Amino acid sequence: MTEITPSPHSLQGMGTPEEAAYEVRAHEGALWTGSRLLIAIYAFACAALAFAYFYLRSANSDHLWRPHGVSAPADIGSAIMAFTVAAAAINIYGIRRLRRGGLLDWEVAGWTVLLGGLIALGLQCWEFTRLSFFPGSSGYASVFIGWSVINCVLLVSGSYWTETLLARHLRLRRAHADEGGDRYEVLTPRSTRINIVSSAHFWVFIALIGVFFWVFFYVAI
Amino acid sequence: MSVDVTPAVGVGEVQPPASGLLSRRPAWLSQNLVTALILMVAGYAFGHWIGNVISSGRVWVTTAAENDAAIVLGLLFGVVGWLLGIGALNYPLAKLIGRDTVPQERTDWTKYFRFSLTHKVVGKQYLIMVLLFFFTGGLLAMAIRTELLTPTTHIIGPGTYISIVGEHGTIMMMMASSLVVGPLGNYLIPLMIGSRRMAFPRIEAASFWLFTAGYFVILTALPLGGFPTGWTGYAPLQNQAGVGMDSYLVGFLVISLGMILAGFNQIATIINYRAPGLTWGRMSIFVWSVLITSVLLATASPTLTIACVAGLLDRTVPTAFFLNVHGGSSYLWQNLFWFFGHPEVYIMALPGFGIVAELLPVFCRKPLFAYRVGAAGLVGVGLLSYFVWQHHLFQSGINPDMRPLFMLTTELISIPTGFVFLIGLGTIYKSKMRFEVPMLFCLAFYFNFLIGGITGVFLSDVPVNVTLHGGFFVLSHFHYTILGGLVFAFFGGVYYWTPKVLGKTLNKRLGQIHFWMMFVFFNLTFFPLFLVGLFDQPRRVFEYAVRLQTLNDFASVSAYLLGASFVVFVVNFVWSIWIDPKTAPANPWDSNGLEWQTESPPPWYNFERIPVVLADPYHYSEPVPVPVADLAPDNFAEAAGNGVAAAAMAGAGTGGASSGGSSAGTQDGSD
Repeated sequence: MTEITPSPHSLQGMGTPEEAAYEVRAHEGALWTGSRLLIAIYAFACAALAFAYFYLRSANSDHLWRPHGVSAPADIGSAIMAFTVAAAAINIYGIRRLRRGGLLDWEVAGWTVLLGGLIALGLQCWEFTRLSFFPGSSGYASVFIGWSVINCVLLVSGSYWTETLLARHLRLRRAHADEGGDRYEVLTPRSTRINIVSSAHFWVFIALIGVFFWVFFYVAI
Repeated sequence: MSVDVTPAVGVGEVQPPASGLLSRRPAWLSQNLVTALILMVAGYAFGHWIGNVISSGRVWVTTAAENDAAIVLGLLFGVVGWLLGIGALNYPLAKLIGRDTVPQERTDWTKYFRFSLTHKVVGKQYLIMVLLFFFTGGLLAMAIRTELLTPTTHIIGPGTYISIVGEHGTIMMMMASSLVVGPLGNYLIPLMIGSRRMAFPRIEAASFWLFTAGYFVILTALPLGGFPTGWTGYAPLQNQAGVGMDSYLVGFLVISLGMILAGFNQIATIINYRAPGLTWGRMSIFVWSVLITSVLLATASPTLTIACVAGLLDRTVPTAFFLNVHGGSSYLWQNLFWFFGHPEVYIMALPGFGIVAELLPVFCRKPLFAYRVGAAGLVGVGLLSYFVWQHHLFQSGINPDMRPLFMLTTELISIPTGFVFLIGLGTIYKSKMRFEVPMLFCLAFYFNFLIGGITGVFLSDVPVNVTLHGGFFVLSHFHYTILGGLVFAFFGGVYYWTPKVLGKTLNKRLGQIHFWMMFVFFNLTFFPLFLVGLFDQPRRVFEYAVRLQTLNDFASVSAYLLGASFVVFVVNFVWSIWIDPKTAPANPWDSNGLEWQTESPPPWYNFERIPVVLADPYHYSEPVPVPVADLAPDNFAEAAGNGVAAAAMAGAGTGGASSGGSSAGTQDGSD
């Protein structure tokens, strides 16, 4: 068993061990609370966009909600949605494998999720160049552009979270190996586990939002 | 199996600054306000250039003879440069390569100009910044009242006048959203819950520096020509306005992000960092108010963010969210804006309720009357605040059949608000009040807010609303609730907690002069404006009927004297803190509050030992004093719960290690 000592700027020397343990637990709780709050915050933002969609659709000002023939490229949109859903599913799979001790599986899943997220992001950016309508030509076009921007933010957030988890994991693993430990030993402290599970929940949230808006923009139009 | 105990994010804030600078860099290279300003200007120039490259020659740019994309990108890159320059992005960027950055804290005065992770420093930074916002907005108010001295002779042109009105409103709204949660919340919440730190100090600091960036952004509106919409930014005027409108939209966007982060951090802190024994039923009412406000900040502000993004897309890409002729709807802005805007009203009001309810028991020497009803009232106001936004649309884009529903929800919200009033009255009833300066502000709060609240009930009524909409009656109503309510409570809090924060007492005589000037001239300014409103003078118009000049002149002169009262406060502050400082007793008000159980000003670690809370802080009339907390607990592990004892056993000797299981499934954080 290897112990990695706390950073010198921790609570060391300040309180009793019980207090320090209390602080660590509080921090873990804060991570858990914070990650759920993050989802709630994004949910309110996406709800505002969904409100805009339905408001403009029902208002249909000057019959310009969606003029005949106006639609976003369905093939690209479907691919974005598919990559996002796949990233979320692989993330869940990776966590299940990690729970069974499959560190390498989680690592591979993590990199795959990151790749999937970046591909979805790239496709979302590319889609901007393939639109057959002017952004200000209709209500549909406007909300679609708004959604695309928000989806980029969501994908960047999810990818950043996954990347930082993987980068931190690599650093820890290297430090552990330098100390003579097995580099494939599981290095999952509680706070990291909370982070990993929370990031997976965030990806599921991104995927759900992606599916909803895919239906709004490409299916139920 | 190994256990990582790499410190929690920002745990470094409780690191005692050994001496001087902990940074490895020389002082002149470290990030501070100067580097932030330099990079902000550079960021603006870069963004402006990018915007020109992207959109020069586009039809909508050449026909409009202005390039909104360049301005918007300039402002956005300016904000990014600001954050880079102050050091807010060091940690997020270092995380990309898996590194933790070492927090750098200085002990000298320059820490107030840096990205500090210490909640007490951030609280003080916020205090100075909200006062800067407040005095800037106040000067603009003086300009407005000066223009309104005469009905037809003008000092300011109509375009400038409406820009000043809009700038005044926007700055004041931005300020008021953080007036209490920013300075008092960040400084006091850890002390009031028995914690040594905030949950996410980097997020806390980022929220402050975003707030500061918002100040600079909104100020750019004036040199860019201002914006004609007032603080509400209504479309389609928003789409037709000049580039000053971009400053409004970017400014509110940045502020909304800061508000989200501030609320996020407060919620995580209050839920998770309460000391052992501090149950929900023992938590101070001020902490309750900050918690509910933070929930509103974190959940209502994203709607404003989306509204601002939509507005910016309309002006740059351009989309047509708010343009009816292209399939959008100007009412969409109103809905999105007010879905944020009405909870925003309670974001401003609830902390005021919290402060006065916190202070009354101290100066009445009685327990807080019906504490649980008060907490329930705060929760009720917070919940109902999401269901009233359409009363702002009674006169515009609402289906008339929906009016009764929103009239009802608006009137309903007066019930939990009444709870908060009743706990105040119950506490005051038959008490032996001490008329100290903070108490005077509390009593004034109740007087002013009663007028503001009752006129609010009038205005929720559709027929009255239709009659008085857009006039000075509405203006007076919301000034009575925000300036008469929140700002009075804020100053009460400042006088009350200054001995805690700075270890010095503000001069009582000057404080009384400040109070009486502010109270009298506030009422003399805004009460006549109710009459002006009843006589049909519209807001945001620089000319008015000649018959209303006397009332307007009376209000203007009173407004100048109201402004002078704030000068008295500044003089008092400077005099009492720097010129003739008087060291305050450790607990000058004999308060039971947990924050007063530690030294004044508090040491960097807040509490030498994490306290075990034994009772709520309102046991003032007990024959035998009830201790609020055990400050040197022998039974910490027992009080903190079983998990802590086990974790402490495992972590003993490692200075805070937490034991971890071998699998992610056993402890996935759901506990």
